[in-house]
Amino acid sequence: MVKVIEHKVSREVKAWLKKEAAEQKERYKKIVAEQEALSPKRDKWVADFLERIQSRGFNVHADMLRKIPAAEIPKKPRRRFKVVF
Amino acid sequence: MARPHIEPFVDRDVSFKKMTLPGFPKGMHYKMLSLDTDTGACSMTVMYENGYVQPPGMSYADMELFIMSGYLESDEKRYTPGSYFWVPPGVHMPALRAPRGCVALMFYNYAEPSFVESDSDHQLAERDNLTIVNAYEDMHWTSTNFFPATASGCLVKVLRFDQRTQAFTFLYCMTPNFWQDNISYHDCAEEAYHIWGTSWMMQFGNLPTGGYFWRPPYINHGAFACKLGTLALGRTDSQLYNHFHFNPWTTPEENRERAASRMLAWKPELYRWIEQHGGHNHPHVPNDFEYDGQGDPHAIAHAHGVPHDHGDGHHHHEHEEKPKRRRRRRSN
Repeated sequence: MVKVIEHKVSREVKAWLKKEAAEQKERYKKIVAEQEALSPKRDKWVADFLERIQSRGFNVHADMLRKIPAAEIPKKPRRRFKVVF
Repeated sequence: MARPHIEPFVDRDVSFKKMTLPGFPKGMHYKMLSLDTDTGACSMTVMYENGYVQPPGMSYADMELFIMSGYLESDEKRYTPGSYFWVPPGVHMPALRAPRGCVALMFYNYAEPSFVESDSDHQLAERDNLTIVNAYEDMHWTSTNFFPATASGCLVKVLRFDQRTQAFTFLYCMTPNFWQDNISYHDCAEEAYHIWGTSWMMQFGNLPTGGYFWRPPYINHGAFACKLGTLALGRTDSQLYNHFHFNPWTTPEENRERAASRMLAWKPELYRWIEQHGGHNHPHVPNDFEYDGQGDPHAIAHAHGVPHDHGDGHHHHEHEEKPKRRRRRRSN
């Protein structure tokens, strides 16, 4: 299947792409900062999730649930918790 | 770098900009959702002004369009909300008008947006692949057929499926009070836009109407919840498999390693065969008879962008296209 038909990319198009790429970089930085700010809430959500999968269960497949024993619950590693990569 | 991880992004927070790329008619505005900085491939929310007219034309790359509000019309048909187009490169579309304006999602998969006026197909166009469907009126909701599956209450309508890569575009919904307590990641990149409704993910919080993400492979997302229901459009760039787990802190590298290990458990023969035959210094890439024919393995390695050597055992490389020598014109 043809993905792209060979064509010349004009200077105007290159300039447009450059500008959009720069704006995307800024957008990405903003997202990272916003997600950093969400950390305290996220820690609470994670704690609630780890509690729920022990009491109600973890969705193994569709609505099939497995209650996870306490011994299997992962421990938070020392490294920084990142969600945007 | 291809597209960065854009998640979450809400397009309601930004204004439309005039589309100024050459070829596009006046009256088209856009919000950039994500952009592949190498190829120019991108996803945009677009708005056509009242009275917008687009002459017959084609694009150099494939283009997907999904109408969210308003309508587009040609001489023969009116395309209302839910209308979805997948237009292969070089396939010309008739003149389209938006007498009362229209808002849509627009995706270019392999190159920058382009529009060239033309009332016929390009010689390389594959018109038989042109897909036009109204997802709201012509299709029914089905449960997801991926195993392991999402919890009940997440339904899909598959709009396009690429047989080669298994990439697909789909409308999905979450019913009110949907929840799914697991963390997922995929081997593919995944993208979605909320047409209506708010859903929640443990990593990113609420994603409201106008919410969007482009998520590269192996990034954790979930648990999931949705109070009042959500309607969204999703896309992947290859096969979607739900790798579920419950460790909130794993990294994409750890997830990828696990996926490879799982592949070894699921398809040990195939995995070992790839490892043995695709190992270092063997310019061999698995050949798909349906797509690659009985071709030269070296040429197939090129086609797939796989690093390889030329039999000298120490010369690993990917080819960069050599600049063509200019022939001097002889003056008579």
